[in-house]
Amino acid sequence: MNWHALRLSLQVTAVATLLMLVVGLPLALLLARRRFRGVTLVETLINLPLVLPPTVVGYYLLLVLGRNGPLVQWFGWQLLFTWGAAAIASAVVGLPLLVTAARAAIAEVNPNLERAAATLGLSEWAILRRVTLPLARRGILAGLLLAATRALGEFGATLMVAGNIPGRTQTLPLAIYDAVQNRAYDQANRMVLLMTALAFLSLWTVRRFEHPRPREERESRV
Amino acid sequence: MSEPRLEADFVVERPGFRLQVRLQMGTEILVLFGPSGSGKTTTLQALAGLLTPVRGHIVLDGETFFRRHEDGKTVHVPARKRRIGYVFQDYALFPHLTAAENIGFGLRGPEKAPRVRELLARMHLSHLANRYPHQLSGGQQQRVAIARALAVNPRLLLLDEPFAALDIAIRQHLQRDLVALHQELGLPVIYVTHRLEDAFAVGQRLAVMHEGRLEQVGPIAEVFHRPANAHVAAIIGVPNVFRARVVQAQADGLLLDWDGLPLLAPPQALPLGAEVTAYIRPEDVKILYPDRPVVEAVRDNQVMARIVEIRPHPGGHWLHARLDNGHEVEVRYGHHTYTALSLQPGAVVRLVLRREALVVLGA
Repeated sequence: MNWHALRLSLQVTAVATLLMLVVGLPLALLLARRRFRGVTLVETLINLPLVLPPTVVGYYLLLVLGRNGPLVQWFGWQLLFTWGAAAIASAVVGLPLLVTAARAAIAEVNPNLERAAATLGLSEWAILRRVTLPLARRGILAGLLLAATRALGEFGATLMVAGNIPGRTQTLPLAIYDAVQNRAYDQANRMVLLMTALAFLSLWTVRRFEHPRPREERESRV
Repeated sequence: MSEPRLEADFVVERPGFRLQVRLQMGTEILVLFGPSGSGKTTTLQALAGLLTPVRGHIVLDGETFFRRHEDGKTVHVPARKRRIGYVFQDYALFPHLTAAENIGFGLRGPEKAPRVRELLARMHLSHLANRYPHQLSGGQQQRVAIARALAVNPRLLLLDEPFAALDIAIRQHLQRDLVALHQELGLPVIYVTHRLEDAFAVGQRLAVMHEGRLEQVGPIAEVFHRPANAHVAAIIGVPNVFRARVVQAQADGLLLDWDGLPLLAPPQALPLGAEVTAYIRPEDVKILYPDRPVVEAVRDNQVMARIVEIRPHPGGHWLHARLDNGHEVEVRYGHHTYTALSLQPGAVVRLVLRREALVVLGA
């Protein structure tokens, strides 16, 4: 097992998940609760990474993260070919999965509950914290898990912006690629099995979140 | 109307819909009545601050909640600072919280626990404190919703079709409770309904709404007796409204005099000689078969009448008959009722204005 790659993958996924949460949850709220011009445009942009070739996403990220990109120009953040770039690439491809699920879950919360909370003296922030988010919890968690799993498996865009530097930017999917190239099939098998197990476990949990068994449904409302 | 407490005069604009409300009310129960889509809920939401009118003002107990006119700056107090109790049509109970947690939702600090206990007891919910909304019956959910709205000591209580989904026995019970609550708290209450029975059961004044406009606001009997226009008459839509005088008032019932016609009505506390408005639904006027024995339920209030006209309707027939006192009553019956009588205009029939169904409103 390539422990370096596993550790790096977990690190990249953790940071990507955090990024997606910070960016995706407000977006989901906005899309679910506000009517504004350009809703469709925003949605389409968020969902593009789902259908674009990874190389295209990677190319755009090169422009954003590159020497003439805003992150370098404005903040002086040189992220290209570091694990930070891998985290950003993973976040971009995982984001649509979180936003779609979270938006649906939030839209399902009865708006009268939020109105009721407002008449009971709660601020918008308190309504979010005490009504909307707790009631949309299951959908948001399902979306987050799905997005994190997608981030964990990110390959194409990551290769373009972070490279494939063992010990520095080589995540598990890249390490599998290398192992196969070098005919190290034993190592590849172990990593493939691990990835498959993680993905299976994650999807299984997502289903359980979205379609709880009757008994759990009762408890989840409790 | 007592001393005015709420003064509202505003316009709300929505795509394809315009709402114009001008309204004053005191410490009373005002029934906001109208067909669905007429703007009742929108009116409540504007008062509560859940939506913003385009112009006008809303003032409660001297405090301006909203003001926007051509000149001058805009005032808009957010919903959370208005202290207006709002009971939603779907109750809007928080499904993830118990009855007690729902009631205490808007409360904080050391007063919270005793206040919740007090409200649970007041609304007969103490034994259900730890139940979740989906474990409560419709009537119980309704009581939790009212308790939750009252918890924050509202200055105005808004009820949106509060008892629409409940069966009649529970509805009547809750309506009596609401009237008692109103008297106890001295709180202005706006009660939205599209059902006339509700208006009679709880209301003191009636505001009739039609396509986004308040067509008439006044004491219920007055609105009934003198609809301001054809819209109001059509919305109220009740034939058989008449003025009568109380001749006898006893424990077992009232005796009314309707321009020479004696009528018995259910007991009600009314002074002798009072002029009252009464009505009977056309479905509750029955025609007697001359050759059959009269059952107990339709023994009282028999009266001879001559049929003026009979009109077929989708649900049956609407029959108009002239009584000896010169007034007309409307009778509605199903397609296959009274076929043996071969009713036709000009014929004389014996009607019964069912005693139990005679509704007497105050003066």
